Amino acid sequence: MLSSYFKLAIKVLGRHRFFTFISLFGISFTLMILMVTTSFLETELGSHPPLTEKDRMVLLPRLIMKQMVTDTTWSVDTTMLDGQPAYDSTFTVGKKRQNSYSSSSLSYSFLDRYMRDIPGAEAHSFFCADTQFDIFINGKKLNFKALYSDATYWEIFDFNFLAGRSFQPSEVERQVQVAVLSRKAAVDYFGTTEQVVGRSIEMDGKQLEVIGIVEQPSNSKDYVTSEVYLPLTLMSGSALTETGFHGPFTAVFLAGSPEARSTIVEAIRQKADRIPLPNPEDYNKLELMPATVIGLYAYYMMPVQDDPEGALQMFTLVAVGLMLLFILLPTLNLINLNISRAMERSAEIGVRKAFGAHSGSILAQLVFENVVLTFLGGILGWLFALALIYLVNDSQVLGDTQLQFNTAVFLYSLLICLVFGILSGLLPAYRMSKLHIVNAIKFNNL
Amino acid sequence: MIQLENITKVYQTKVIETTALDNINIEVPEGEFLSIMGPSGCGKSTLLNIMGMIDEPTTGQVKVAGKLVGNYHSKATARFRNEQLGFIFQSFHLINELSVIDNVELPLIYRKVSGKQRRQMAEAALTQVGLSNRMKHFPSQLSGGQKQRVAIARAIVGQPRIILADEPTGNLDSAMGNEIMDILMRLNQEQGTTIVMVTHDETMARKTHRLVRLFDGQQVS
Repeated sequence: MLSSYFKLAIKVLGRHRFFTFISLFGISFTLMILMVTTSFLETELGSHPPLTEKDRMVLLPRLIMKQMVTDTTWSVDTTMLDGQPAYDSTFTVGKKRQNSYSSSSLSYSFLDRYMRDIPGAEAHSFFCADTQFDIFINGKKLNFKALYSDATYWEIFDFNFLAGRSFQPSEVERQVQVAVLSRKAAVDYFGTTEQVVGRSIEMDGKQLEVIGIVEQPSNSKDYVTSEVYLPLTLMSGSALTETGFHGPFTAVFLAGSPEARSTIVEAIRQKADRIPLPNPEDYNKLELMPATVIGLYAYYMMPVQDDPEGALQMFTLVAVGLMLLFILLPTLNLINLNISRAMERSAEIGVRKAFGAHSGSILAQLVFENVVLTFLGGILGWLFALALIYLVNDSQVLGDTQLQFNTAVFLYSLLICLVFGILSGLLPAYRMSKLHIVNAIKFNNL
Repeated sequence: MIQLENITKVYQTKVIETTALDNINIEVPEGEFLSIMGPSGCGKSTLLNIMGMIDEPTTGQVKVAGKLVGNYHSKATARFRNEQLGFIFQSFHLINELSVIDNVELPLIYRKVSGKQRRQMAEAALTQVGLSNRMKHFPSQLSGGQKQRVAIARAIVGQPRIILADEPTGNLDSAMGNEIMDILMRLNQEQGTTIVMVTHDETMARKTHRLVRLFDGQQVS
């Protein structure tokens, strides 16, 4: 029976080629977008090196200082007192509101003084990302991003080392001039990743010995993506000694388990209330913004000020809403197309019923045909998605983010295909299966 | 084989009520070749549809092959139609996307019959109507007479006890019409299949065992 349905499904597709084209285009384009989006989210938010332990991490990227003032309102009114006009005044104290605001990343001294003993954190690291350097080699200018960190950074973020090693605490302490390069930086500077460890690179007026090469992280997060990784003690100027609260540093804390992250977040927030402010006349309230990896990602994507969890909720809502819309619109379109396609086949449905098909068989046949159509669209969508991912990666339109097409994404896509096929086929099939045989046969267009 | 008792069929809309069949009583014994004649709109096809359990009467009782027809939309009725009845339509109603043999196999799809057996039975039916050399053709490649022969093969492939033919020669010229009539008569004579045929053609009707005439929904002879 299925082979007969399949044969007919393929034949029916050829009956109205334009309809078939519209249907296949709708399905394949939608699936392509869904597959590429899923792949993008998986690449950005999945647990891959160096973020395998991302679910245990809490980042502290921002510090916010505010001046909170109380709103006061004077109102003056006239009244009669002993037959004489008199003035009366009212003084209303309103809620506290924010008068001025300052937000940035943190200084090393702030982190060093207040953030080393956070309850619930098994490890912590302070680092400064995204310092830019111009490097000249063989008459060519290279622009390298540098990330300065302590040695614990390499314990928290599990980079894949292609060669060599990370720097040790003693090397950080003694300001040893060493560097870890990304694969891209090694290729750009030395033309290869082979036998680069032990050679030196000149940067910021220093001769740095290359001690390791790491695989480029495939995502866009600036706290792991860099060309050169250096001990933080090699930072120039007063970056480590500046006593203000604002600075270029970020902190990361590693919890014992994903659940334990909330302890760290709460501890950081409570700590903010106890930290004395240097100039209370300018800013009298300090807030710290701890965030999970996904929360911070959403924070950069969504217009929500200083609230990564709120941003994550909005991000999830928008993402799910868009996905549903992407599935729903072509499904509704397909239902429409399928109804008109199916109506053309009412005589065939009538004949089948006259010869013994019951409503369930007709329903199964039409849904099956739609699933076949959807799977064909799925295969096309899969091929389109592969092509688009290749183009996105090749053109580097997403920077360092390298999309990957993995099995999980493919299985999700197959599931989406099935849901598509059933959803868009069910209503027209149900309507056709309920057709009265005599009325159906009256249509003469088989 | 078929018993119709006090059958009426009324089509009702908000503004008008039309009586298509009015108190029809017909009994078709097993092995009979019955023809039904009458002017257009007199209720011939409605009567045939009621006999074929694809339409239900407004009142009255229908008994086909010993089965008192109750729920017209049930799975059991569908199975009964599949096993006991074969239909032939005036405009053939073949599925253009399927080959001749696939069209003939159609009733067997709804039975528990293996693919191989389906093919054998369809080939036998096509041989019986003289179309064994057209199995791989598609309906669009056949003449009107050939299409109707395919439709007959489809109707007989499941070896039903009753064949209901709605103007099977209506769309054919007289030579082809005679060919079709010969096949139906042979089926009736050689296999004892009960046949009820609606026709406008007096000559064809005279070839059958009995003729029932309808006029304005009433049986006049």
